[in-house]
Amino acid sequence: MTSKIKIIIASLIVVIFVVVGFYSFMDSKIEYASFKEAQKKMKMVEVKGVWQQNKETKYDADKGTFTFYMKDDDSTEMKVVLDGAKPNNFDIATMVVAKGKVKDDVFYAKEILTKCPSKYEGKGEDVMKSSNVN
Amino acid sequence: MVGKLLIYTAFIASVISIIGFFLAHNGKENFLKMGRVFFHITSISIITAALYLLYNILTHNFQLSYVWEQSSTDLQLPLLISTFWAGQEGSFMLWALLTAVIGVFLLNYVSKGERMEPQVMVMFTLVLSFITLILILKSPFHYLWESFPKEVDYGFMPPEGRGLNPLLQNFWMAIHPPTLFIGFASLTVPFAFAMGALLKNDFDSWTSFSVPWILFAGGVLGLGIMMGGYWAYSILGWGGYWAWDPVENSSLIPWIINVASLHTIIAQRKTGGYKKTNLLLSILAFLLVLYSTFLTRSGILGDSSVHSFVDPGAEVYLALVVFISTFTLISLGMILVRWKSLKDIRIESSKLMTKESFLFIGALLLCASALVIFVGTSLPIVSQSKVDQTFYNNMNLPVAIFLMFTMGISLYIEWKETELSKFWKNMILPTAFSLITLVILITIGLRDPLYIVFAFVSLIAFFVNARFAIRIIKSGTMNFGGMFAHIGIALFFLGVIGSARYSQDVDLSLEEGKPQEAFGYQFTYVGANTFMDPNNKRDTMYAFNIKVEKENKEMTMRPVMFYSKFSQGVMKSPDIAYFSYKDLYISPMSLEESNPYPQESMYELKKGTKTKVNELEVEFVDFDFGNMQKGGKEMGSGNYTLGAIIKVTDGGVTETMNVRTKFVDGTPQPNPVMMESSKKYAFYFLNMSVRGEEEGGTTAVFSIMDASKSPQQQAGETLVVNAAIKPFISVLWTGIVILFAGFIVAIVRRRKELLVKHPEKHEEHSTGNGSKQKNKKK
Repeated sequence: MTSKIKIIIASLIVVIFVVVGFYSFMDSKIEYASFKEAQKKMKMVEVKGVWQQNKETKYDADKGTFTFYMKDDDSTEMKVVLDGAKPNNFDIATMVVAKGKVKDDVFYAKEILTKCPSKYEGKGEDVMKSSNVN
Repeated sequence: MVGKLLIYTAFIASVISIIGFFLAHNGKENFLKMGRVFFHITSISIITAALYLLYNILTHNFQLSYVWEQSSTDLQLPLLISTFWAGQEGSFMLWALLTAVIGVFLLNYVSKGERMEPQVMVMFTLVLSFITLILILKSPFHYLWESFPKEVDYGFMPPEGRGLNPLLQNFWMAIHPPTLFIGFASLTVPFAFAMGALLKNDFDSWTSFSVPWILFAGGVLGLGIMMGGYWAYSILGWGGYWAWDPVENSSLIPWIINVASLHTIIAQRKTGGYKKTNLLLSILAFLLVLYSTFLTRSGILGDSSVHSFVDPGAEVYLALVVFISTFTLISLGMILVRWKSLKDIRIESSKLMTKESFLFIGALLLCASALVIFVGTSLPIVSQSKVDQTFYNNMNLPVAIFLMFTMGISLYIEWKETELSKFWKNMILPTAFSLITLVILITIGLRDPLYIVFAFVSLIAFFVNARFAIRIIKSGTMNFGGMFAHIGIALFFLGVIGSARYSQDVDLSLEEGKPQEAFGYQFTYVGANTFMDPNNKRDTMYAFNIKVEKENKEMTMRPVMFYSKFSQGVMKSPDIAYFSYKDLYISPMSLEESNPYPQESMYELKKGTKTKVNELEVEFVDFDFGNMQKGGKEMGSGNYTLGAIIKVTDGGVTETMNVRTKFVDGTPQPNPVMMESSKKYAFYFLNMSVRGEEEGGTTAVFSIMDASKSPQQQAGETLVVNAAIKPFISVLWTGIVILFAGFIVAIVRRRKELLVKHPEKHEEHSTGNGSKQKNKKK
């Protein structure tokens, strides 16, 4: 009898946990998208791309926003406005991942992740280069 | 050549050792010696190979690709040593080394008495064999001319290596990865014991042999994870100690499972229950280590983590996949083989209000938490998406609440039968203490109902465990390790509530010399100092002095930024002021040069054209080159004076003005010019460009500003920082230290079991929970 009650209680908890978990999961799921897809979706998405160094890149101290232009993997370029200052390691990032939404052709980012090469793969030319320096 | 030879030797010897141990397991006792001897050959080869790699690093033998890629001559000794594991090949070497060293201790341990030596060692050696195989595929002993046969000649020795990434150049890099790897390597042992138990078809005795190793693995891996958090918080300036990053998660999951298994094993040793659970959890913890290795080494998470990965190449990817699937299949296979005997294990239905049930509930909650993290972390592998941090936080919060609740009350639950009246009586005092503390916390700002509940159950867990710990310490025994660990976790969660939920942060643009207020502090940027990078003596670093004042107290905080030649980018490091109940955290964001001429005041005019500026009409007539030759020597030198002639019409009055600007090293130092009839506007000539007609022609840039507002030419640079207040973070670190102390106490106490020949004889009398009960009855 007691073991039956235990099993019922346990399965009830598991069911609640799974259901709550599923909703929480769907809620916090962030898809990777291109700028074009982001424009269609109203949801928060993540777009990865490359910072366009030759375009305007500035920090607005009054508004506390950082603006730059980014080109995504499909070569769509869009203005990105980050709510915050220039992210860490922005200059050395090989890739930028921006999390946010598109509004009026501007990508408003809540968060920006910079991907830096922790180590550039060594190349043969580098071996010779390092020897020329000295 | 030497290095590779040693690795091959290790691999071949490990295969022979496996055969030896397996034959010994099948009853051919005389093969046991063969297994032992070849295991030692494997270990010695791996240890020698590791020492050989270290020797090459210390002597700067840049002929080895790995040494050339990771290190350089200017690194100080601890950092130079840390280049051993800075790259993939080296970290596999370190994993092999630590597994081999642990294996030597393990063999010594299991060869004493009846400790399932052949069964345990056959599994352990199999793991070591696989790691060695990866080292064959991804060898740190390649020469440059083998790695780059086209570019590099045989025997070439570069005078200098590429050096270590400055992000990795600090104390934590020297100790964090090896600690994690010791934890990972030691989780192989409980796995080997569980698999050995399945091989031997004996599901009882292994638990007592395994516990000290589970404790050791849990303590060390936990320490390694926490070090990573502290590193991220205090040095890397990520703003927090935990970001639910896949790399962090992947090492946390096996730790949680390991801790869960510790609890159910304690129950098995006391009551004989949970035999299947224990086998499963010990196996799972190890498989999750392999999964972690796969996630972090295969490059599969490249897009979804702040950590960076180097693509290891297809063969390593494949080897890792084979590694993890082989051991998953072996584990499943062993369970299937023993299915019959496992099924026959009689489950005694125990009552709910017993310690056994509560240990199981605790383990179940831990597994739920691990499952949540596992699902979230694995999502990027199976789909083009990931989960937000809120998923981990929202899902783990209720689990943690129940966990703390269980932890708080379970000490007053008896093994056999709990008298409810006695239970409630015992709970009165801790509950009262918790309520008082909770009221204090609410007064100082704790608000959300869910967090109030979380704080309350954490406080109960804290007080109950503290009460037990004090009682046990007074009684003079060492059985308080578990309570210490629980106190630590309770404090840790209290710190999490404060620092994660009630942190505040703000971006401040600090113009030099101009104070700004935030959180009741006054921040003034007072200029920067330069110093040389103490680690490599190559980069000039900048410490930005920020005067922080509150009431009459004053201090200077110095976040650091510098341009790293190695990374070709700006590196940043925060400064933290530690107070007893909060941290003030300042991370530098950027340094903005002052721009005295606002963008909206700038006008670019083509020669001979007019434009409207408010009520004015401005025409750019021509340049005044004075005596200077157009584009001549003077201009090339960058020091010259140039004028621009403009015609301005204001309400019918037209004046022609020459706006002159002195260029010093190419930088304009404009002088304002105003109309004689009206002093309302000031005109500045800022720049010129001479281009062909099709490219826009010759233009000049002017700034036309309200004359009453002078350009902020005197304004210094602006330092942008993120300032944050993190309440109770010291409580969190204290909790972690106590948690670790708990592990140490427990390990020290169980050390005797490592030395005693037949521990299972003593077990029934000396398990921690038995003594706990005795104490309670006093």
